[in-house]
Amino acid sequence: MEPNEILFLFIAVATVVSAAIVAFSSKIIHSAFALLASFMGFAALYVYLSAGFLAVTQILIYVGGILILILFGVMMTHGIYDTAKKTAHNALSVSLLGGLAIAAVLLLIITRSPWAPILHKPFQPTTQLIGAAILTNYLLPFEIISVLLLGALIGAVYLARAEDKQK
Amino acid sequence: MSNLNSLQYFIPELFLIVAILVIIVVDLFLKKNKKIVSAYLAALTLVVTIFLAYQQYGYSPALLFKGMIVLDSFAIFFKIITALSTLIVIFISLPSFRTKAEYYVLLLIVTLGMFLMVEVNNLLMIIISMEMVGLISYVLVGFNKHDLKSSEASLKFMLYGATSTAVMAFGFSYIYGISGHLNLDVIQQSLIINQPQALPLFVAFMMVLAGLGYKIAMVPFHFWVPDVYEGAPTPITAFLSVGPKAAGLALLIRFLITLVAHPSAGNAANFIQNVSIHAPLLLAALAVATMTLGNLSALMQKNIKRMLGYSAIAHVGYMLMALVVFNNQGIIAVMFYIVVYLFMNFGAFCVVESLTDKLGSEKISAYTGLGYRAPFTAIAMAIFMFSLTGLPPFAGFIGKLYLFAAVINQSWYILALIGLLNSVISLYYYATVVKVMFLNRQENAPPLRVALYNKLLIGALLIPTLVLGLYWSPVINFTSRSIGFLFGK
Repeated sequence: MEPNEILFLFIAVATVVSAAIVAFSSKIIHSAFALLASFMGFAALYVYLSAGFLAVTQILIYVGGILILILFGVMMTHGIYDTAKKTAHNALSVSLLGGLAIAAVLLLIITRSPWAPILHKPFQPTTQLIGAAILTNYLLPFEIISVLLLGALIGAVYLARAEDKQK
Repeated sequence: MSNLNSLQYFIPELFLIVAILVIIVVDLFLKKNKKIVSAYLAALTLVVTIFLAYQQYGYSPALLFKGMIVLDSFAIFFKIITALSTLIVIFISLPSFRTKAEYYVLLLIVTLGMFLMVEVNNLLMIIISMEMVGLISYVLVGFNKHDLKSSEASLKFMLYGATSTAVMAFGFSYIYGISGHLNLDVIQQSLIINQPQALPLFVAFMMVLAGLGYKIAMVPFHFWVPDVYEGAPTPITAFLSVGPKAAGLALLIRFLITLVAHPSAGNAANFIQNVSIHAPLLLAALAVATMTLGNLSALMQKNIKRMLGYSAIAHVGYMLMALVVFNNQGIIAVMFYIVVYLFMNFGAFCVVESLTDKLGSEKISAYTGLGYRAPFTAIAMAIFMFSLTGLPPFAGFIGKLYLFAAVINQSWYILALIGLLNSVISLYYYATVVKVMFLNRQENAPPLRVALYNKLLIGALLIPTLVLGLYWSPVINFTSRSIGFLFGK
């Protein structure tokens, strides 16, 4: 086995295990930190797919932004551990059966179907290509997202701000 | 078409974006008691936008922005429908939302999202446009921040929405993996030429249906509907049941006739499947499940908004039924039904909105004896109810006639029979409202005074519901002319 493959296996296992901790841990703070490892693992996998820009974005946005937000949310929410669980869980057998069925179908698809030919591109920086694509072929989505974000911003501010003082 | 050249075909959307920005800025300079001006501006914007969209009818179909979106008469038809639905919602909202400019700005942004939804030609644009409608809708549903039900509805809506979008995106990744392309027309060509295996495509189709089905409230992705419809402010409930639903159906139709099927060579009015994945049978099963579950659940509702929510699910079932046949007749029937449905459903919600404050309740039992307390409103409500059932001589009857004709023409008799049985079931709960209003009488109940503005609005929605039941040929002609799709070349 080449060192390259060993490294890949290590990253893949670490990503899956930490994702499992996110799902199964009973303490929400453990989940949050496991999520960190999972996100980092994803970033590493992106590097293996020679998507360097995506890897950096993943770390900047998910690890640097969203995860920190989640951690703050967890730490600053008063009494997050004391809340009684109000939702009932499905029976383990039913969930397991459903999950296994889906996994079987997905596995069948992944192993059986001839995917569109993968381009054997050499590892090369993609940032410049992405920048060019955003301003040419993908100009419309890029601009439309700005309107979407504007709307999200207005909505978030409206929902979060304190109401005007009583007259 | 290159980005710069595309701009001249993008004028309604550009106007909408500029208007959104202008209204945000103008609102800053308005005094507290003059905030309503932004609502008028939003309404004016939509009128101009509808006009601009109508102007586009003459253009020949074209791919815009390097194939990101497509401008064809089908898209223009739905742009007009969705903009009209937002306009009506603004009119319904005027009495109750007088101080919040954000509300109207957000509605305009949703309208922009719906415009893009009906003209997408790219998997990425599908997600962006659907999120644009979804994300802003979550805020609108929770707009009454101090109402617990409203907040709960918003949160539920968001959780379901996020999950279904994720599933849909996963489905898209399969489609991309199978075909190697993002533009719908190119994917269609690739599927026809390469004939990939059916299983991955079928699973991808199911996953995409999860996202689209959520948007149009199709069983089994309907769980959010009753709670969201009950909790949301009534104008927003009305809006969700028409505008985004019409856009979702347009997107579903576009998806079905590009990724799932293509026009047959000899006869462009018929579609044959790209890869045989039994899509008609699957759609038929979903249509039956949707209308049956919607109608049976509606039977048991005590709250009028919940009842209308379940009835909206049932109506999606009827429309899905006509899509099963995969030909132009079915699509025209659905488009015509959406026009009819727009007027009668908005009418029903408009009555609910006018009465909720006066009655202090949304229970159906609160409507007891309404025929004697507010005769005009009660009669209008009765007409909307009968039209929703599909009784002649109202518009709903003609709409259903076209739907059933499309199904029967292609010999789906059992499906048509189930649809007919469902209509009979729906008569029960629609008629219950009418019975409560006219046959039961409350002792010593004073007459209800419904504001003149509301009466005018109800009247304005009542006229098309009545007229389209007797003289519908202009609308059906208009619909038939709007079926010029741009297919992949």
